Amino acid sequence: MRLSDLLGAEILDEAGRSAGRVHDVRLVQDGPVVGGFGAALRLDGLLVGRRAVGARLGYDRGKMKGPLPVKLLAGWLFHDGRYVEWGRIRTIESDRILISGTVEDLPRPGPSS
Amino acid sequence: MAGRVLEAGLQLLDRQLVDRDGRLAGKVDDLELELPEGGGPPVVTAILAGPGALARRIGGRLGAGLEALASRLREGDDGRPARVSFAVVKRIGSAVELSVPRAELETNRLEAWTRDHLIAHLPGAGDAPE
Repeated sequence: MRLSDLLGAEILDEAGRSAGRVHDVRLVQDGPVVGGFGAALRLDGLLVGRRAVGARLGYDRGKMKGPLPVKLLAGWLFHDGRYVEWGRIRTIESDRILISGTVEDLPRPGPSS
Repeated sequence: MAGRVLEAGLQLLDRQLVDRDGRLAGKVDDLELELPEGGGPPVVTAILAGPGALARRIGGRLGAGLEALASRLREGDDGRPARVSFAVVKRIGSAVELSVPRAELETNRLEAWTRDHLIAHLPGAGDAPE
């Protein structure tokens, strides 16, 4: 599997409702040790939403700071942003990913660092 | 979450690869992920670089054309994009630092092939300094 297989894919819940598309993939460095890099990067979850602009600017990541007008605009543009933990992914198909539960169950993305 | 947290698109894609000697060695165009044998979430096993890897991200006709061109230019003997194992990644910062020289990387394949199959056959190519 490639990262590009996930980016841009549409997220659909058990009822077939869309949570938007995958705008980014969150990795955590706590996997098995690989060479000099140390612990491998493990896929933790997907940042999803209907609008990509806020996510692309990084304003969906909690700790991102000003300028205030840009932050407010980007926050509004990504207000429907959600986080899909890997454990909720059931099937990865071409250009769409099926998840367990409902869109309403999905939490807001927390800060990345 | 105990380890460092990274967002792949924001903090890894399109970053410059820098080899052991500080020389540019391509860019992060895609990532390869594998499911561990014992189960659990996928882990990143390699960086994919070069036009063949970038083509899939671009998508559409332009992406398909770029992929065909990369394959035609023998980016790899098996047509796959250049792969840089995460075992040779030293640090991820504003660039991705590697622990090996550029010549040992698959990202150097197109340059090496062009040198051996095209440049070497040009008149006077043998006079070029090393």
